[in-house]
Amino acid sequence: VDPGNFKTCEQSSFCRRSRKIQGSGSKYALIPGTLNTYADSLTADLVNKENHHQFAFKLEALVGSTFRLQIDEKQPLRPRYRVEHALKGPTQAGRIRVQRETDGEIVITSEKNKAVIHGDPFRIDFFENDVLVVSVNAKNWLYFEHLRQKAQEPTSHPAENENQQEQDAAVETPKAADTIDDPGAWEENFKSHHDSKPYGPEAVALDFSFPAAKVLFGIPEHADSFILKSTSGTDPYRLYNLDVFEYVVDSKMALYGSVPVIYGHGAQRTAGVYWQNAAETWVDIQTSETNVVSSLVNFVSGSQKTPPPAAHFMSESGIVDAFIMLGPKPMDTFKQYAALTGTHELPQLFALAYHQSRWNYNDERDVTSVSAKFDEYNIPMDTMWLDIEHTDGKRYFTWDKFKFPHPLAMIKNLTELGRHLVVIVDPHIKRDNNYFFHRDCTDRGYYVKTREGNDYEGWCWPGAASYPDFFNPVVREYYASQYALDKFQTVTADVMLWNDMNEPSVFNGPEITAPKDLIHYGNWEHRDVHNLYGHMHLMGSFAGLQQRDPNQRPFILTRAHFAGSQRYAAIWTGDNFADWSHLQHSVKMCLTEAVAGFSFCGADVGAFFGNPDTELLERWYQTGAFLPFFRAHAHIDTKRREPWLFPERTRQVIQNAVIKRYSYLPLWYTAFYELELTGEPVIRPLLAQYPLDKEAFGVDNQLLVQDRLLVRPVMQQGVSKVDVYFPAIDDKKNGDWWYDVDTYQRQERSGYVSVPVDDFKIPVWQRGGSIVPKKERQRRASTLMLHDPYTLIICLDRQGKASGSLYLDDEKSYAYRQGQRIHVNYEFAHDQLVNSFVGKPKYKTLAWIERIVIAGLEKVPSSASITVNGVSQQLEVLHHDNTVVVRKPGVKMDVDFAIKLNFA
Amino acid sequence: SEVPRPLGVPLAKASLYQPRAGENSWTCLDGSRTIPFSHINDDYCDCADGSDEPGTAACPQGQFHCVNKGHQPVNIPSSQVQDGICDCCDGSDESETVGCPNTCLELGAAAAVQRRNAAELHKRGAERRQEMITRGKQMRAEREARRLELDQRRKEQELLRAEKEQLKQTAEALEAEAIEIFKEQQREVDADTAQAEREPQQMRQEATLTFVRYDTNKDGFVEVTELMVDMNLDRDRNGVVTVEEAKYFLDERERVDLDAFVTLAWPRIKSLQMLAEGLFQPPQPEEVAQQPEVTTESIQPTPPKLSEEQAELAGDDDIEADEEGEEDQYDDEEPDVGVGEASPDAEEATPPNYDPETQRLIQQANEARNALEEVERSLREIQQEVNEIDDQNNKGYGLTEEWAVHDGQCYNFEDREYVYTLCPFDRASQKSRSGGPETTLGRWDKWSGEPKQYSQQKYTNGAACWNGPNRSAIINISCALEPKITAVSEPNRCEYYFEFETPAACDSEAFQSESENLHDEL
Repeated sequence: VDPGNFKTCEQSSFCRRSRKIQGSGSKYALIPGTLNTYADSLTADLVNKENHHQFAFKLEALVGSTFRLQIDEKQPLRPRYRVEHALKGPTQAGRIRVQRETDGEIVITSEKNKAVIHGDPFRIDFFENDVLVVSVNAKNWLYFEHLRQKAQEPTSHPAENENQQEQDAAVETPKAADTIDDPGAWEENFKSHHDSKPYGPEAVALDFSFPAAKVLFGIPEHADSFILKSTSGTDPYRLYNLDVFEYVVDSKMALYGSVPVIYGHGAQRTAGVYWQNAAETWVDIQTSETNVVSSLVNFVSGSQKTPPPAAHFMSESGIVDAFIMLGPKPMDTFKQYAALTGTHELPQLFALAYHQSRWNYNDERDVTSVSAKFDEYNIPMDTMWLDIEHTDGKRYFTWDKFKFPHPLAMIKNLTELGRHLVVIVDPHIKRDNNYFFHRDCTDRGYYVKTREGNDYEGWCWPGAASYPDFFNPVVREYYASQYALDKFQTVTADVMLWNDMNEPSVFNGPEITAPKDLIHYGNWEHRDVHNLYGHMHLMGSFAGLQQRDPNQRPFILTRAHFAGSQRYAAIWTGDNFADWSHLQHSVKMCLTEAVAGFSFCGADVGAFFGNPDTELLERWYQTGAFLPFFRAHAHIDTKRREPWLFPERTRQVIQNAVIKRYSYLPLWYTAFYELELTGEPVIRPLLAQYPLDKEAFGVDNQLLVQDRLLVRPVMQQGVSKVDVYFPAIDDKKNGDWWYDVDTYQRQERSGYVSVPVDDFKIPVWQRGGSIVPKKERQRRASTLMLHDPYTLIICLDRQGKASGSLYLDDEKSYAYRQGQRIHVNYEFAHDQLVNSFVGKPKYKTLAWIERIVIAGLEKVPSSASITVNGVSQQLEVLHHDNTVVVRKPGVKMDVDFAIKLNFA
Repeated sequence: SEVPRPLGVPLAKASLYQPRAGENSWTCLDGSRTIPFSHINDDYCDCADGSDEPGTAACPQGQFHCVNKGHQPVNIPSSQVQDGICDCCDGSDESETVGCPNTCLELGAAAAVQRRNAAELHKRGAERRQEMITRGKQMRAEREARRLELDQRRKEQELLRAEKEQLKQTAEALEAEAIEIFKEQQREVDADTAQAEREPQQMRQEATLTFVRYDTNKDGFVEVTELMVDMNLDRDRNGVVTVEEAKYFLDERERVDLDAFVTLAWPRIKSLQMLAEGLFQPPQPEEVAQQPEVTTESIQPTPPKLSEEQAELAGDDDIEADEEGEEDQYDDEEPDVGVGEASPDAEEATPPNYDPETQRLIQQANEARNALEEVERSLREIQQEVNEIDDQNNKGYGLTEEWAVHDGQCYNFEDREYVYTLCPFDRASQKSRSGGPETTLGRWDKWSGEPKQYSQQKYTNGAACWNGPNRSAIINISCALEPKITAVSEPNRCEYYFEFETPAACDSEAFQSESENLHDEL
């Protein structure tokens, strides 16, 4: 990456101005007598005591221990942008009760939560069960630049002069206090790019403290540690969707996605804040560990109290629109966020399997031969991918007729083997009057405009390109209609999508993206909506795929994303590089994305840039096999990287990793169904399940799959052992039992353990007390596994118990929403396994249970008996080193049963 | 009659799938476990090696045998059994509900046609190949014959070289001796010549100076009118030099050149000049002072001449002599043009100064040296050609020389963008169809086929790629009736694959034995 292409805070005028307030503090106060209360909310006016500008303030209680805080100018010169389409739907109002109201303080309650509004200086404290968890504006860093006229503007026209006077009167603004002296307030230059800033300064900023927290995490997307670091002495974390080439790790630089949700976590409480703003945003982090001034003050005063972690959100425009989520536990907080912005839909199963990609497979023969080679080497593979070279000169929705003369035949060759094709469609449109899409957009005015009202023209892969304005619903409808099979006649309903470069990427734009003074639908500037552009692109694509086949679940992969984009797409971590640090950051980045709604996250296996050596490639496949999105992908200039091009041992390691992924597909599929059902992330940081273990907070080289698997991939070069942290379930170092999934050897103590590894080893443990469904039959593709039988892996806890769930449906359609599904819980207790259905099992399946593996039994049973519909039958029991296996229960998945172990 | 055996078991292994005598049990093929015979193909994996489930997908490492009666039997991974895709042409890998058609007879017939066509192609190709072998062997024989001839010529030339070397040494000895003798004589002659030449040369110089002075229009002649201005020539002292008086000095001619002036006019004019100079006594000492300078200058050139003669006698090449002469001229031009003219005469006289016998000996030595050089050049040419033949012999033209005919040939292939060229055993290259320079994709490296060595060639060290290693090309070779490139691809950036067909790849016997192996399996 060339850092010179991207701004620092000091080079960004609004960031400088907003950050400056940290030194002086601001003076905002509630105006007495302006309070109004309603069933679910209260409103009041605020005043900036320095410039006397007035603001409207609203606090709503939402269902699910959440409050919404909005602050806007009371009488803005023109409307300020409010984010649309990020929330999954209208918020659900809760109820509030005013407990006490004085001029200095207002106390309201909602459920078991409490909000205390301090009038002067303005501050709101949020309590969960009487514990203070979030304090808004505790540091007095609220900063709201009201809209204003440019002072130097000459006004010789009498009428205009009168308007000016009226406006001055309206805002009651003394001129002297109203001036902003920062040189970038009214226009800004970066390198050779000019931002005209017609509306001048319009920044908003606010601080949030987390008194009950020890650590902060969230605000993807950054290639940094899971736990946020102090930004004292560094730039703030930046949220501004950018096309970053070979990004740098351990960096606060902006990347491809911006999800402005942050969590504060301590042993007793977790809370979160979602800052709903689509403009460029910087986030300063204060944590106690590195706050030197604070430590010095404490030392001098003899006090041992340290300030709580805090975050300062600073956005270039928009309003304050913050959701305060009160937890109290990590999973509660994640679910509260999911209740706002939604979850991934349950994907088709193939999307959770292995994807083979490269920029670019050369032609039809190449695609078909790669697919056939996977069969020859007996490596499962579900989806082939085609990058931009498949098009006719980067004209999307077309094919290069020389390289891909018969796309339908190529697609058929894949689908006949149970496989899929994904093709890329990017938002940059080649400016070519012979290209139907460009002609339509030009004739109908669908492009993003310059300030002068012309179609904006930038450079990207096609050369001169323009960008559809997806904020316009008419444009989205047009875009969606292009996917219809009577228009896009060269694909089938099974072909899925990859939306890339949708930050958007503009090679000759400022910071390699679009200028901020472009004009979108509704006359909003790009400045207001930049981080939403990719999201709106996704909405068009998703609608297109749904319209194409209303019964089939769409699959889209996107690079740019914002809060709520998870409803439409999976993501990947972008253009990574073939070295060990990027492999390590795959896990950290995906964990951060998962708690911000994007469980469906992966990283380019093998890396996009560079050529991995065999060891790095092997470990990358092993790590990728345990991230939700599992795709190999590489840059056009890298060497070919199909598994059979490597030495046989490497190919075997890769095959092993892929087969292991396929065996766990029932777990991944169940986890994604339960994500849609509950909002609980599919992959989780340790602290999500072990909130009391302080030492687990910062562990970001391990991940949990739901609460059932602990994965610690090998991500260092040349190691023969890795340190694994086994978390404690309480603050006394008591831990779960963990069973190695290969040997079922049990780990009984918590803390760090050194575990030996060889080339083939992926360190994965199943938690004692859990039941994991697997499919252990190997197939070419996951779609061919539909009818294959299940194995249930039962790992017992200290009390000899275990439980787990399994979800089945047709793995493709929306029929599950009409009840065509099986969701079943399994419970093992008192030497007996029983199932119970959540709802009625209405999906007809041929699948059955072929094997039950039980680890952790103290005695070896002599046999087992299964009872179905009151009829009992004897089953054979086999004893292996660490497990007991019940042979071939044979019962169908939709049938109630009980299996009891018999002891001699 | 069909030998009974579980589904998925090949005939050759049927005996392994029999229950143990007297029991209904069976042992896994790896010996690890004994299970009831009824558990074979019961859709549950009992054996670690997968041997109990040859007909189902239950075991991860299993193998399913397709009988494929009428076509080729084949083993497929058990992961492809009961997956809804028809992998066996007899459909035995899927249940009847899947409805796989039995296409073995059709495929078998088509395969038979294909085999016959391939056999025919290989047969006819083998005939072409035989021609190539014949031609290749002929080319090799020609190379060997040429090599023998060259070896013979080398022997002859080496003998000749020894002879010429001897002659050269003898001739050079005689030459050196003769030159030495000549030098001694020349030193004596030079001494006498120097003395003898001094006087005439001095007179000539004076005459030349006067001539130049009189020739006022610089046309190389002294005319009557030019003499008439010299009052010294007024013999009757009447104040005017008349035409008659002037003609007296020119031997009654209208004009004379330098030679005539020196021989005819100067003796008459000089006496009057001397008288005139006697009349003007005061400037005489100055003239006398100049005279010695001229004399000194006339003497100085003599040593360089001697040096030249010595160099020539020593056998130095002519270039040095020429340089010396030029220097001499340059020095003389400044003081006196006449002296410059004298110098060529001296130079011209130098070679002829060798007595005829010495010249003959020098000539003989030169001829001997040239003769030796000629022989040595011939030897170098012979060696170079021998090396070329050895290189060709090492290029790997095949055990029967069938590939030799391709060396020196080039084949082209055009796709939409480029014209690709393959010159076997030399290079592969690419050129844009719209013109532009040719880009080398690789130079001949080696045969790289495995297991069949002659199925693939490798060319490396092509032009450098813009961001990476040098280009390279792999040539995959197959049997056809005519040499032809059928496809070129670039699966990796800057790594090219050519598909090349040629009769040289049609080894009918090898193809026959491969076919027979297949037949044995049938």
